[in-house]
Amino acid sequence: MTDAPVLQVDGLVKHFPINGGLLQRQVGAVKAVDGVTFSIRRGETLGLVGESGCGKSTIGKVVLKLIEPTAGRIVLAGEDVTALKPGAMWTHRRRIQTIFQDPYSSMNPRLPSGTIVGEPLENFGIARGAARDDQVAQLFRRVGLRPEAMRKYAHEFSGGQRQRLGIAKALSVNPDVIVADEPVSALDVSVQAQVLNLLIDLQEEYGLAYLFISHDLAVMRHISHRIAVMYLGRIVELTDKRTLFTQPLHPYTEALLSAATAPDPKRRRQRKKIVQGDVPSPAKPPPGCHFHTRCLYATAECRVTAPPLLEVAPGHHVACLRRPVGGDPGPLSIPG
Amino acid sequence: MSGAPGPILEVRDLHTQFSTLDGVVRAVDGVSFDVARGETLGIVGESGCGKSVTAMSILRLIPRETGRIASGSIKFEGEELTSLSEEEMKRLRGHRISMIFQEPMTSLNPVLTVGTQIAENVVRHLGVSWKQGRERAFEMLDLVRIADSRRRLDEYPHQLSGGMRQRVMIAMALSCDPQVLIADEPTTALDVTIQAQILDLMIELKEKTGTAIVLITHDLGVVAETTERVVVMYAGRKVEQAPVEALFEEPLHPYTRGLMRAIPRLDVEADAAGTRPRLQEIPGLVPILTQPIVGCAFAPRCSFATDRCRNERPPLVDAGAGHLVACWEVDRVRRAA
Repeated sequence: MTDAPVLQVDGLVKHFPINGGLLQRQVGAVKAVDGVTFSIRRGETLGLVGESGCGKSTIGKVVLKLIEPTAGRIVLAGEDVTALKPGAMWTHRRRIQTIFQDPYSSMNPRLPSGTIVGEPLENFGIARGAARDDQVAQLFRRVGLRPEAMRKYAHEFSGGQRQRLGIAKALSVNPDVIVADEPVSALDVSVQAQVLNLLIDLQEEYGLAYLFISHDLAVMRHISHRIAVMYLGRIVELTDKRTLFTQPLHPYTEALLSAATAPDPKRRRQRKKIVQGDVPSPAKPPPGCHFHTRCLYATAECRVTAPPLLEVAPGHHVACLRRPVGGDPGPLSIPG
Repeated sequence: MSGAPGPILEVRDLHTQFSTLDGVVRAVDGVSFDVARGETLGIVGESGCGKSVTAMSILRLIPRETGRIASGSIKFEGEELTSLSEEEMKRLRGHRISMIFQEPMTSLNPVLTVGTQIAENVVRHLGVSWKQGRERAFEMLDLVRIADSRRRLDEYPHQLSGGMRQRVMIAMALSCDPQVLIADEPTTALDVTIQAQILDLMIELKEKTGTAIVLITHDLGVVAETTERVVVMYAGRKVEQAPVEALFEEPLHPYTRGLMRAIPRLDVEADAAGTRPRLQEIPGLVPILTQPIVGCAFAPRCSFATDRCRNERPPLVDAGAGHLVACWEVDRVRRAA
């Protein structure tokens, strides 16, 4: 891991307009991403974890420039790509690739898998004809598929094998960053382990940086180096994974960890502070700290003031008014 | 809760099959188990293992055009369900046996209010008036702790969040005091914090009402935290069955062991920052169910497999204290720890 970030995101904002009324004027906005800052180094996995509607997938799409940010800056391998038009962005697509939850929907059912995986090689003018076929065969081997399978079509593969195809395709152009949005969520556990191991091996071999998006805390802890916890468009806590799981400081992180089930019957009934209620709508987030409506420790101040994300301890960023810089990391008291 | 002895549900040698263009799929291939009164039984396995088809068979919801219960017996309170008419089954479903599914939106009627849907179930099965049915609906929404329940009665499903819809499904499923509740992946579509709320609610209500629960899931964490006994299925067959503590303490079937080692865990000691131990993979793929399986279905993926495993189907044997396992090599598996 080197120190220069390969992907840097500053103050990223993405609002989706809500139109209404007779003239379909804009009447509001879903603040899907509301001021998010992070960076990823070469060879590093940054996990983005949160529940539905927290904005984690939107961040992935904005970073890939599949949708345009409302505000903020995206720096890819030292180059500001925020304002690039699709044509100019095209050359940068080699640097950043993606793996989807369901690779099947992104594969042309009428093309043999070898052609699908080799498409980026042709598109970017990297290799053609026999040279391309050679490279595709190597990619197939590298992700654990037999090169003979290049003649097969997407529907002839199992879910895990299709995810291997998706990984091979992303890998083909030798990118710096891979955005992986729930890449193992649709897979059975036995197959999930195969794909996670493959992703880790490839990262170590090629120095890939992963932006790994998932709702699954156990998967997240396994694959990430650092983890950002999101709630309603904002990062509420960001730190290395060991600290996150042993000393979470944000009440929402604590709630997430205590709500997760573990394959151990002895742990049953040990769950203590489970948050009540539902996640509020991102179209109408509560004022102040977005989490205050479900937070056991919220004070009057939390209802009006949005907490900034502060580095409260070295490398440990938390957005909570009750967790000031250099504060006591012990349990919070419930206000009377 | 009835004090009558014996299990509430007895499934014996169930075979459920589907006709497809590729041939006959043996989705459930000789499965037997009991559900005791008031217990929570988990059925766990990966996609295609037959766990949902087992549930659909009990409810007699196998689509008639393609599938059928080929043989076997399903007894509810001693009554054989496989030979009941569709009319008789309708009187049972939603009343004495009820169910909840993964996606509540597909089981709720979008054009009827929540209150009307719950009341309808009560009126139909218990023959009470609509007024009483609506009162029951109000009680049930309170029971599943939906805030402001009086007002929610008049709301439509789309006005509710996913967690709230699942609460409504539970309210409806329990509205006629069923003896058995079949829950197929009830929390899979929900967020982690909502899943925890729903699981806690199910356990609390089970203790309050004495309804037995058959919980079908792929999630070992959910099984560990909510069930008392577990059936593990693989390729349409039951490969292991045990009290939940025993299963997680010492899984005996190589498949169950493989599953437990393949999942990333949150509850084990945090590893040093930066190190990522490899997950143990289960090599290979699940068998294709259109081809007859000779021997143990897991043999092609199993490191303990011998010629006998490949040629003879292992019977379920009691390894002690109600821990059943279908494995020829269980002694070697045990020693391998």
